[in-house]
Amino acid sequence: MISAISTNIISPLGFTTEENYQAVLSGRSALRRYDEYPPLKGGCAKAEPFAASLFSEEQRAALSLDGYTFFEAIAIRSACEALAQTSLDTSSPRVVLLLSTTKGDIGVYPSDAAQRIARALGVSTTPIVVCNACVSGLSAQLLADYLLSADLYDYAIVVGAEVQSKFIVAGFQSLKAVSDEPCRPFDIERTGLNLGEAAATIIFKGQTPSNSPLKGEKQSSTVNSLPLREGWGASGGLAGAWYLIAAAARNDAFHIVSPSPQGDGCYKAIEAVMAGRDKSQLATVCVHGTATLFNDQMESKAIERAGLTDIPLSALKGYYGHTMGAAGVLETILTMRATDDGLVLPSKGFTELGVSGKVSISSKSRRSSKTSFLKLLSGFGGCNVAALFSRGKGQGARNKSRSLIKKHTISLSSKDGKSLTDIYKQEVGDYPKFYKMDILTRLAFLAAELLKKESLPIEGEAWKGSPLILFNHSSSIVSDRQFLTTISDDNLFPSPSVFVYTLPNITAGEVAIRHHINCETSFYILPKRDEALMQQILEATLSATGATSALSGWVDAKSETSFECELSIYEMNNEEVATAL
Amino acid sequence: MEQLIKDLKLQIKEALNLEELSLEDFDENAPLFGEEGIGLDSIDVLEIIVLLEKHYGIRLANSKEGKAIFHSVKTIAEYVQANRKK
Repeated sequence: MISAISTNIISPLGFTTEENYQAVLSGRSALRRYDEYPPLKGGCAKAEPFAASLFSEEQRAALSLDGYTFFEAIAIRSACEALAQTSLDTSSPRVVLLLSTTKGDIGVYPSDAAQRIARALGVSTTPIVVCNACVSGLSAQLLADYLLSADLYDYAIVVGAEVQSKFIVAGFQSLKAVSDEPCRPFDIERTGLNLGEAAATIIFKGQTPSNSPLKGEKQSSTVNSLPLREGWGASGGLAGAWYLIAAAARNDAFHIVSPSPQGDGCYKAIEAVMAGRDKSQLATVCVHGTATLFNDQMESKAIERAGLTDIPLSALKGYYGHTMGAAGVLETILTMRATDDGLVLPSKGFTELGVSGKVSISSKSRRSSKTSFLKLLSGFGGCNVAALFSRGKGQGARNKSRSLIKKHTISLSSKDGKSLTDIYKQEVGDYPKFYKMDILTRLAFLAAELLKKESLPIEGEAWKGSPLILFNHSSSIVSDRQFLTTISDDNLFPSPSVFVYTLPNITAGEVAIRHHINCETSFYILPKRDEALMQQILEATLSATGATSALSGWVDAKSETSFECELSIYEMNNEEVATAL
Repeated sequence: MEQLIKDLKLQIKEALNLEELSLEDFDENAPLFGEEGIGLDSIDVLEIIVLLEKHYGIRLANSKEGKAIFHSVKTIAEYVQANRKK
C-alpha cells in the first residue's frame, strides 16, 4: 500500500491541480473543433475535422523549456511542481521516476526523453517508461506499488504525459474512432473520442516499518506530518493521505484493438480489486469513458456484471479529451480532489444513456460522503486496469516475496540469419494473422510459440495466470516509421493496421490472445537491456500480484533486419536462499 | 468488371497481408467475413475503406457502412463500379 504525497496537473485548463479542479467545477473544457492538422506537430495537410483539447500558443510559450522538447518540458514542469510541495531529495537511490506515455515524441526513443527528464529533476536512478497504451497512467501507479512494496525504492515520481500530433490524430482517425464534436461519454449520441494533451504527476511514498525518516527525504523536514498544501484537502484538512489500496490488470485476450463485448478483462480487474470489499464504500467509479461506441458499451457491461450499478460513475474525458499516457494520473488526481470535497464530478458531455449496462451516470454534480473510489482504464492490446484509492489506510494485501528463476528460454536474433517467416512456416504454420503483425510482434509471437513447444506439457491453466511482462529500448520504432509513410502530406492515407502496431504493448496483446493469457500484460521501456532491473521489476510484480510464474523478456527491433528477443518462462525459486538482509 | 475484380483481389491481398491466400484460391464470391469465409476482422474493414479511397476515390463514413458493402470481392467490385471517382 502506497500513499500519494503530492500531485500536479498541467493541462489546457491550468498548470496546477487546484486550477484544473476549479476549471472542472465551473464546467470548462478546452475541447474544440479543428479542421486541419496544424497546430499539431508534423501537420500541413488538410485533415478530417476532429475535436481535441490542445495547449494554446500562449500556453506553449509559457511552458516551454530551453533545450527540451515540449513533451519533456511539460513532464519536467509537472514533476517539479509536485516535488516543490515535498522535501524529497531526488538524487537519493531510493527515488525512482516512472514515465507513462504512449508515444512520447515521435521518432525519439522514449528512454532518451525519460533520462533527460530524470536528469532535469535530479533523479539519479534509471527511469522506467511505462508504455502500455491507454492504461499506462494506471499501469505506472501499479508499478509504483510493486516497486515500493518490494522495498526497492521509498518514493516513486509517477509522471503521465502526452502531446498530440498528426501521427496520433491521423492514426485514431484511420480507426474511425474520432469525433469532430466534444465527446459524449456513455451517451446515446456519442460519435467517438477526442484527443487531448496534458502532464500529470503523483508522488508516491512507500510504507516503512518504523517511524525513522525515510531515506530520500531531506533531513531538515519533518517526516510524518506534511503541512497542508494550499487547496489540497481544502474541505476540512487532511484526515490521512490518499492510499492506493489495491489494483489489478487483466487482459481480455480477445482482440488487439476492440474490447471484449462483455467487458471480460474490465470485469475481472474490478473483481480482483473489490473481492471481499464493501462496494457501498465507494464514492464513485471514475470510468475510462472515451465515448467510442465500443468502449463505453463494454465498460457499462463490466460495471453491471461487477455489481456496481448503484455506484455513481464519473467520466472526465468531456473536460480533457483522452490524454492517453496522462489520463490515468490526471483523472485519478481530480477524483481524489473531488472526493475530498464530497463531490462526484458531473460527466460532461453526457445527457442520455446510450449503453445497455445498468449504470448510474449523470451530467450533474452529485454528493457522496464516502472516502474511496475505483478508477478504471482500458486500452489497446486488450489491457484493463482497475485501481482502488482510499483516504486513510485501508486493508492492503501482504506481499509474499518472490525470487524467480528462468525455467525455459528462447532466444531469437537477426544475427542468427534466419528469417522470421521461415521460422513461422517451419514451427507454426497455422496462424495466418502472423502476416499482419509487425516485426516486433512477430518476434514475441514466435518466441512464445517456441517456448510453449519447448516447455510442453503445460497445463492449459498455467499460462492464463502468468503475467506477461515485456521490455525493450526501441519501443515500436519500425512501425512508427512505416506509419509515417502513410501520413505524408501529399499522400495522406493513414493505415489502421499499421497504426495499431505503433504501440509496443500490442506485442503482448497478440501473445495474450494466442495463449489465452488473462492476467496482467505490461510493456516497459528501458535505456538498455538491464537484466538486473528487469528481474527486480518482475519479482516485484509477482510478489504483489501473488502469481507464481511469469512470461517475460526483452523484445527489441530497430529495423526489419536488426532485432533480438529473449523470452523466458519464470518460476519461483524453490531453494532456500540465505539472505544477509 | 473482370479486370476490376482482379485488381481488387491484388489490392486486398496486399493491404490485408493475406500472404497464404493465392489469387487462384481467392474466390470473389466467398464471404469475406465470418467463419465460413476468409475471416476478416474489424481492422481489415478499415483497411479496405482506406484502399477504396486511395485507389478509387470513394469515401465511406464509417465501418458500419463498409460492412454492408463488403460481403465479397464481387459486391465490392459492383459498388466500386457504380461509385468510383478515379
